[in-house]
Amino acid sequence: MHKNCNGLGRRDFLQVGFGALGGVAFSDILALRAQAAQARGKASPDQINCILVWLDGGPSHYETFDPKPTAPQDIRGEFKSIPTSVPGVHFCETMPLLAKSFNKFTVVRSICHKDPNHGGGNHYMMTGIPTPVPVGCGAFVSFHPSFGSMVSHERGVRGGLPGYMSMPSASRSGGPNFLGAQHAPFVIGGDPSSKSFRVRDVAIPQDISDGRAMNRNSLRASLDNMKRITDKAAEDPTVGFDQFYQQGMELVTSTTAQAAFDLSKEPEATRKLYGENDFGQRLLLARRLAEVGVSFSVAYWGGWDHHRGIFKTFKDGYAQKLDQGLNGLITDLDQRGMLDSTLVICLGEFGRTPKVNKDAGRDHWPGAMSVLMAGAGIPGGQIVGATDPKGYYAAENIYCPEDFAVSLYTKLGIDPHQILHTNTGRPMQLVNGGKPIKELFA
Amino acid sequence: MSSEYRYQRGKWMCSSRICVGICSGAIRGRFQHEPRKHRSFCAVGLRVYRLHVILLLISLAGSSLAIEAPVSFIHDVMPHLMKAGCASGNCHAKPEGQNNFKLSVFGYDPKHDYNEIVRDDRGRRLFFAAPEESLLLKKATGDVPHEGGPRIDKKGAVYSMLIAWIKQGAPFAIEGEPKLEAVIVEPREQRYKKSAAQALKVIAKFSNGTTKDVTALTDYLSQDKEMATVDEHGLVKVGTISGEGVVVVRYMGLVDVARITVPADKVLPPELYAKLPVNNEIDRLVHERHQKLGILPSATCTDEEFLRRASIDLIGKLPTAEMAKKFLADTRADKRAKLVDELLEQPNYADHWAVKWGDLIRPNPSRVGVKPVYLLDTWLRDSFRQNKPYSLMVRELLTAQGSTHDYGPVAVFRDKREPADTGGFVSQIFLGVRLECAKCHHHPSEKWTQEDYFQLAAFFGQMKRKGQGISAPISGEPEFWWYGGKGEVTHPITDAVMTPKPPDGPEMPYVEGQDPRVALTDWMASSDNPFFAKAIVNRIWSDFLGRGIVDPVDDIRVSNPPTNAALLDWLAQDFSTNDYDLKHLMRTIVNSRTYQLSSQPNEHNLSDNKNFSRSLKRRLSAEVLLDAVCDITGVRDTFSGLPPNARAVQTWNHKLDSDFLDAFGRPNASQECPCERERKSSVVQALHLMNSNSLQTKLSSSGGKISALAKSDTPEPKLITEIYLTAYNRLPKADELKTSLRFFSTPGATRQTAIEDLAWALINSAEFVFNH
Repeated sequence: MHKNCNGLGRRDFLQVGFGALGGVAFSDILALRAQAAQARGKASPDQINCILVWLDGGPSHYETFDPKPTAPQDIRGEFKSIPTSVPGVHFCETMPLLAKSFNKFTVVRSICHKDPNHGGGNHYMMTGIPTPVPVGCGAFVSFHPSFGSMVSHERGVRGGLPGYMSMPSASRSGGPNFLGAQHAPFVIGGDPSSKSFRVRDVAIPQDISDGRAMNRNSLRASLDNMKRITDKAAEDPTVGFDQFYQQGMELVTSTTAQAAFDLSKEPEATRKLYGENDFGQRLLLARRLAEVGVSFSVAYWGGWDHHRGIFKTFKDGYAQKLDQGLNGLITDLDQRGMLDSTLVICLGEFGRTPKVNKDAGRDHWPGAMSVLMAGAGIPGGQIVGATDPKGYYAAENIYCPEDFAVSLYTKLGIDPHQILHTNTGRPMQLVNGGKPIKELFA
Repeated sequence: MSSEYRYQRGKWMCSSRICVGICSGAIRGRFQHEPRKHRSFCAVGLRVYRLHVILLLISLAGSSLAIEAPVSFIHDVMPHLMKAGCASGNCHAKPEGQNNFKLSVFGYDPKHDYNEIVRDDRGRRLFFAAPEESLLLKKATGDVPHEGGPRIDKKGAVYSMLIAWIKQGAPFAIEGEPKLEAVIVEPREQRYKKSAAQALKVIAKFSNGTTKDVTALTDYLSQDKEMATVDEHGLVKVGTISGEGVVVVRYMGLVDVARITVPADKVLPPELYAKLPVNNEIDRLVHERHQKLGILPSATCTDEEFLRRASIDLIGKLPTAEMAKKFLADTRADKRAKLVDELLEQPNYADHWAVKWGDLIRPNPSRVGVKPVYLLDTWLRDSFRQNKPYSLMVRELLTAQGSTHDYGPVAVFRDKREPADTGGFVSQIFLGVRLECAKCHHHPSEKWTQEDYFQLAAFFGQMKRKGQGISAPISGEPEFWWYGGKGEVTHPITDAVMTPKPPDGPEMPYVEGQDPRVALTDWMASSDNPFFAKAIVNRIWSDFLGRGIVDPVDDIRVSNPPTNAALLDWLAQDFSTNDYDLKHLMRTIVNSRTYQLSSQPNEHNLSDNKNFSRSLKRRLSAEVLLDAVCDITGVRDTFSGLPPNARAVQTWNHKLDSDFLDAFGRPNASQECPCERERKSSVVQALHLMNSNSLQTKLSSSGGKISALAKSDTPEPKLITEIYLTAYNRLPKADELKTSLRFFSTPGATRQTAIEDLAWALINSAEFVFNH
């Protein structure tokens, strides 16, 4: 084993006590995971991680999970519907794999709201709060903490990893707002399907050998001579600084954690299951991040604003990538026994207009949308609510974004109605009203 | 922490009521980032509260309320609804009410509340034929299911009073009843011993000269829980530290403040203070305070520390190795003051301060457009470059007119759009007063009312606009804003036309042909203005000392007193008499010995974080830290839309991609300003400095400083000294030199890798990341 100047080996770093630190140590994450796997049933909400797939622009409900085969041609569009593994339920033919694995997830067809702008819709569905003032389509606004930021705020750092990650970019309203910058998403850019892909910052830079890294770390410790005032009353900020470095060290030196970031460690078959493309591999990475304790990760996919050529775009790969990726994720989580401890959600800011427009596209339509939800005890093979026969509006068991937000937080063990305080001291309810979508808690 | 807080709606509704009632209080400050503590506070508060409600009801039941006497909604009913928590922000005073029953927050709109109870919902809330069957009572007593639980005891006096009120026909007010004019707390100012207890008494004063004891119906809030706590009864328990604190009492929208002074139990000998060096008036005023509190300031910092600290604080830049050598070798007695003068003339000064002000006034570029934001930024930098008097800067900003595509400050009006929004912004940023609460209801811990809020807004009530508004995707076309000579602002409830009037200032009625905004800025810049100069000197002080004299810096109010009022007054006075010269202000602060104290505590100031008795360590801000890293490595980041080699302090909006700046807490560009910077450390920051490829690339770059040093024939100890001077602005100590030399002797190390690793180690240390 390599020894650095101070005679400490890489593994010795793991033995540095973690007891005094905030957050949950990496070894604890593994233990808890093992426990959860053993229990195989209900995972404690606090141990449930969330993978949120955000289809930015607003995916059509017609071309995904809510086809209307009996509607007139100018509404039903070009695609047929296909049966799913649950008798009587049909999806659009673009989703063949998900149709087969439908017994593992729920589709909510009746969430709706009234904001047809991207800016506002994003905000509503990413924070659970509508924008207090109307905002335009181009707006990137944040008036309230996003789901991911709130989860990070509640759970803190686990396993030396930020609690909230977003790939390959942050979503528009995915910021922390008044919770503060330490709860902003940790953005993992790049295309994980490329050979050169690496998760940034979580591992020693490639050019630096392990031995050199350990060496310079131990020297760092001996050169960092500024006096710390350990008495709590002094509120010395460098004490917290040291804790974060220790957490970071533990992450860097943990072989299990490091393996999790390395997609090449995944069997070829699994990589193929998710689809060998950026989106599929992002979902695979999200699963691996969940395994090492990342509480909330977002796989962001832009370009779902199909005002023109929607059928062609779907055929040209959008549908196939989505179908394969989501099916891969859900199937893989299920096979690994992780579905109970992982909440999977796929949605965008709204659905799309019933009438196909002159450019063979569909426009913004918040009156109806389909939201896929799986894991965390959510029943499989379930359709919640329904739209009217032509797909204009949510018509049965209608739910609002607040209900969705309450359900999400409740699944993760977070009180959705707690009071937070803004920078100016104003009390804000995390979610204003809303009730859990009862079908998700069956 | 309380498990009952979660999930059990009935229970947490009650507990969080306590927090909501005191929304701008110390709880927020203390628990903002510690939800668990917050919750346990709530849970404890809840238990205490329940007990007191019971005690209160028992005691009221014992006393005999004059039931036969006329009962008034305003005088008798509302205070009880307030105290019972019905009108709290997460119960019936939520924006959408609770279960269709909506009351106004803190009872700011009694008429609305009256109608809601007496007339709304088809009048079913009151049942005049059989008062005890009224829904109001049945809900409040828990006779029919009530999410908030039982709130009123059926056997108690409050219940009887409500019955009597309904029997009398539920009058809104009794004819000729006096108006509530003031609440007075007793004792108002008192010195206490540590751990002492004191029951407060609250008296309501009415327009007819009568008074009433409302102690039992008052809400209490201690601003600083370490100084003192207060319970729902008004019983104050003094803590174990010396200093000053306040307890805010609130009754029916009116507030008063009880001041609590806890002198040090052991005062240090006066000779100690007589011996302390005094550089200017600041030190005299600070020492006076220390003496009173039994605190002794730390020693003076070293030259090395001063050099680094002053340079980072004044211009946001590390001193170069050359500067460090020169300064350390300088033997002049006034070399520190000379350095300050030199630093203030450096070009980085304007950029550094523009970044800080950008946080406060820069709108979201995807809302108001890229060009207006760019122009605003240009105007800011130019203002600091010219060292415009602060009063002039603010006047230019607040009286701006013209095209958003010609004149930067107009962007602020395009962003705020409505007079009410501009008013709140102006008050928070330039007066240091968080008036925002009063937009919708009484300020919970200050006297401000909606009237105050909309009177301030009225200064912006005669603005006109033309051109493209806010539009998607970004507002690309110009918009024009100007003083239009017509228009008014009305009170949202009474519809009364508001006469312009700043908080605590005189009314300034509109004069035809005169932009009222000019009158506002005249008022601001008058030498006896109660807020304007104080707000800015406090902000700047906080930038240099790590904490405001009033803290948070934009929360000046009677109930959040300065830790050193004399100091704040003197600084404000000195600033305004010196023509609002920001550089003069900064020079005065930095030249004080108080600024030049060591960050190492002594036994008499270890636990003092408020009285400036030692330097508080503070993390370098995102841009300053990135620039420092670039200076050490000699390799700059590139930012889109900026010339090559631009410094991070020159970035003019937060949308320019940078993992580094995001990690270290620059504000989220999508967020509404004003944004105070996050100064905390985080694991993301540690990971980024430790592992980021971009840092490693900078270290190993063939065109960088490290490579140049490696290629030179400079001997190793001298190399190490050079790196230390660049990163820490000091010479290495003997043992540090020895340790650093080990980098060079490690097997496999080259000169290049050894210097890289040394620089990496220093960059990843607290001494580098913090200003100390």
